Amino acid sequence: MGHMVSTELPPLARAQSVLELADFDEVVRLYRPRIFRFLMASLSDRDVAESLTQDCFLKAYNARHQFRGESSLSTWLTRIALNLVRDHLRSRRMRFWQRTRDTALDIVDVGEWIPDGASSPEEVCLQQERVREIWKSVEQLSRQQRTVFLLRFVEEMELAEIAETTGMNTSTVKSHLYRALRIVRDRATGKSEGEQ
Amino acid sequence: MLEPAGQFAADLRNLRSAVHRAADRQTAQPVSFGWLNAAKRRHNAAQRRSLLAWSLVTTCAAVLCIGAALPFVHHAKPAVETTVASVQPAVNETASIPDDTALLEQVDSAVSESVPTSLAPLATLDDWSSTSSTNTESSLNTPEKKNVTQ
Repeated sequence: MGHMVSTELPPLARAQSVLELADFDEVVRLYRPRIFRFLMASLSDRDVAESLTQDCFLKAYNARHQFRGESSLSTWLTRIALNLVRDHLRSRRMRFWQRTRDTALDIVDVGEWIPDGASSPEEVCLQQERVREIWKSVEQLSRQQRTVFLLRFVEEMELAEIAETTGMNTSTVKSHLYRALRIVRDRATGKSEGEQ
Repeated sequence: MLEPAGQFAADLRNLRSAVHRAADRQTAQPVSFGWLNAAKRRHNAAQRRSLLAWSLVTTCAAVLCIGAALPFVHHAKPAVETTVASVQPAVNETASIPDDTALLEQVDSAVSESVPTSLAPLATLDDWSSTSSTNTESSLNTPEKKNVTQ
């Protein structure tokens, strides 16, 4: 954990963003965790997320002269990652994978990664179960709803930044987020109430 | 509504922490020197596949176009021959013009010969018929009259 790098950067000015891009190794070091996290959360597959993270930085490196600093570097990279996710989900290979995912072993089980802050083992189990239910619900959302949900509640991006990243307007982002939240909450709550 | 509260908000925080921890473990180690080489290889392979696919598509399209055009080419050939055949008589007509001219000259020379004495009454009859025709015709017959007097 000594190599962990915080990706929470202060807002960068345009010139700073362009200058920052000049040192590409530093860009990879700073933003790789965030891009990988978003890709892993979007695809629930570590190997694919790692491959697409590499693709994302390769695309960014090849297109670095086109970056004018009109958005933050983080937003620009997330937009590239988002396009990669979309292309990947559209590809025939991914459609095959979607059919066989139930038997795949590399699916992220987020329940195992909950920080151990609970007072009792029973509480830990309950937390894990609730997070798994939410995670399943998130995976069943539409692509746009899932993207908006993850950017808001995993990446903690503001609505305006989500709109800029996804290319939607803010009201569309709000609409997707509202529906996603309702679906996730209804499914998660219904399951827990049924168990009780 | 867009900001969850209560237990659901706590569950979302746990989800965020879990995803962050899972991703951080993967990306904790710094990238190696050739980290992007795999992506480059995939990119190059994808480009080659794309180029190959396009060349295949282009070849198939060309073959299909040629195959579709073959019947039209076969149907178009007789039309060309007909055109050639219709042009050929015109050429022959042009070639026969000197022959006709020679024939007309021959007829003219035969008509302009002097009438024998035994046929002179017939020439007189011809002169009578010419008086009922137009002046133009009579002027055209003038050489024949000369021949008759001779």
